[in-house]
Amino acid sequence: MKTFYRTILVATLGLALLLASAAGVHAITTAGQNPSPGSLEAGEPVLQTIPEPEKDTCIQCHVEEAFTNLWTPLGRWVLFGAAGVALLFGIARSASVWRSRAEWVPIPTRILAWIDERYELSQALKPILDKPVPDWQRRWWYCLGGLTFFLFIVQGITGIMLAFYYKPTPAEAYASIQFIENEVLLGSAVRSIHHWCANGMIVMATAHMLRVFIMGVYKPPRELNWVSGVMLLAMTLAFGFTGYLLPWDQRAYWATTVGTEIAGSIPVIGELALVILRAGWSISSLTLSRFYAAHILILPIITIVSMGLHFIMVRKQGIMKPL
Amino acid sequence: MTENQTEKSVPFYPDHLVLEAKVALGVGILVIIVGLIGLFSPVGLGAPADPMDTPAHIKPEWYFLSLYQLLRYIPETIGATLPVILVLFLLVWPFLDKNPDTSKQNTRVRFWISLVGMLILIALTIWGEVS
Repeated sequence: MKTFYRTILVATLGLALLLASAAGVHAITTAGQNPSPGSLEAGEPVLQTIPEPEKDTCIQCHVEEAFTNLWTPLGRWVLFGAAGVALLFGIARSASVWRSRAEWVPIPTRILAWIDERYELSQALKPILDKPVPDWQRRWWYCLGGLTFFLFIVQGITGIMLAFYYKPTPAEAYASIQFIENEVLLGSAVRSIHHWCANGMIVMATAHMLRVFIMGVYKPPRELNWVSGVMLLAMTLAFGFTGYLLPWDQRAYWATTVGTEIAGSIPVIGELALVILRAGWSISSLTLSRFYAAHILILPIITIVSMGLHFIMVRKQGIMKPL
Repeated sequence: MTENQTEKSVPFYPDHLVLEAKVALGVGILVIIVGLIGLFSPVGLGAPADPMDTPAHIKPEWYFLSLYQLLRYIPETIGATLPVILVLFLLVWPFLDKNPDTSKQNTRVRFWISLVGMLILIALTIWGEVS
């Protein structure tokens, strides 16, 4: 019990020190910046007296770009604050271990044990984790599908990063891509990854499909796994087709014109497909909005659901051993 | 599928998971290298889209290039319907080819079918790229 009180005392003291120094620095950096507004005179318009919202200088410096890299006052506070908290926590923990003479258990192990005690996760995971993997499955051609999934995750992350800056209108799309490539921190790297991993994903998905086809492992009882796989390949190509229009340059515009024209020459359903794809008879700002919505909302949802089914089915049935 | 005790195997955790993590790490490093190259030579942009100005040579991305090249030499209706039929055919393929393999012969046949198919696609793509 004594150790417990001592730990609380040390933690409280540390926190108080941290808060006091933070308050001190805040007082110094904000001194004389926000003069308090005078009291309201008769007849004076109320609008003028509404004070400027108080802006935290630590955060405002990021908006004004006084600091353009990560080594900003806020960054320093986060870094040193975390280090200080970790140090205090370490001191308290060490003291408690020294007092109790108990064997040291790493904190991640403790957290896992705490969760496991309540939800019995290790029982649920046991069949998966203990399942033996035969040596014939440890070949490079069995990882092609997994790599497609890995690249899909990369596409998701970089796509979200690009969506922060991209503007899906004909007037601004081109300029926003220029902004991403030239102004945004690491913007050209993120766009480059998104561009090349899209190509890599198509290559990997095709390679995975060829492997499955050649080995003949689509046969009963795995038909639906093949069907969902074909749908996933179609989704990957649709991602490529819709994403290609988004930069709104000449190549994008005319490749989409030709592509939708080809879809339009399918008998019976062609013209309907063309009108649905272009949102009208010609490519307009509505087409761009439509392709953007498909690229970032509709296709990802369909893909994730199909992927989930694909994975559940292969987990349930196992990888088929070829002859 | 069959729990054959005699076949050689390793536990999924940690042995196999570590192998998969290594593969993911390797590809992750490749992805980061792609990003670093992108810093020095960005993907870039062409001229802004102009609906009034049709460029002389329009080419789609490489994965649609083979279809595009094919369409120059066969009627458009057939060329546009072909991929739809192909996808539908792929979708129902496992319901047509149901008999379990009896010999390595079947695997070899499917290998040559895919090789010829891929070579045709690659040839069309290269032809489209250079023409």
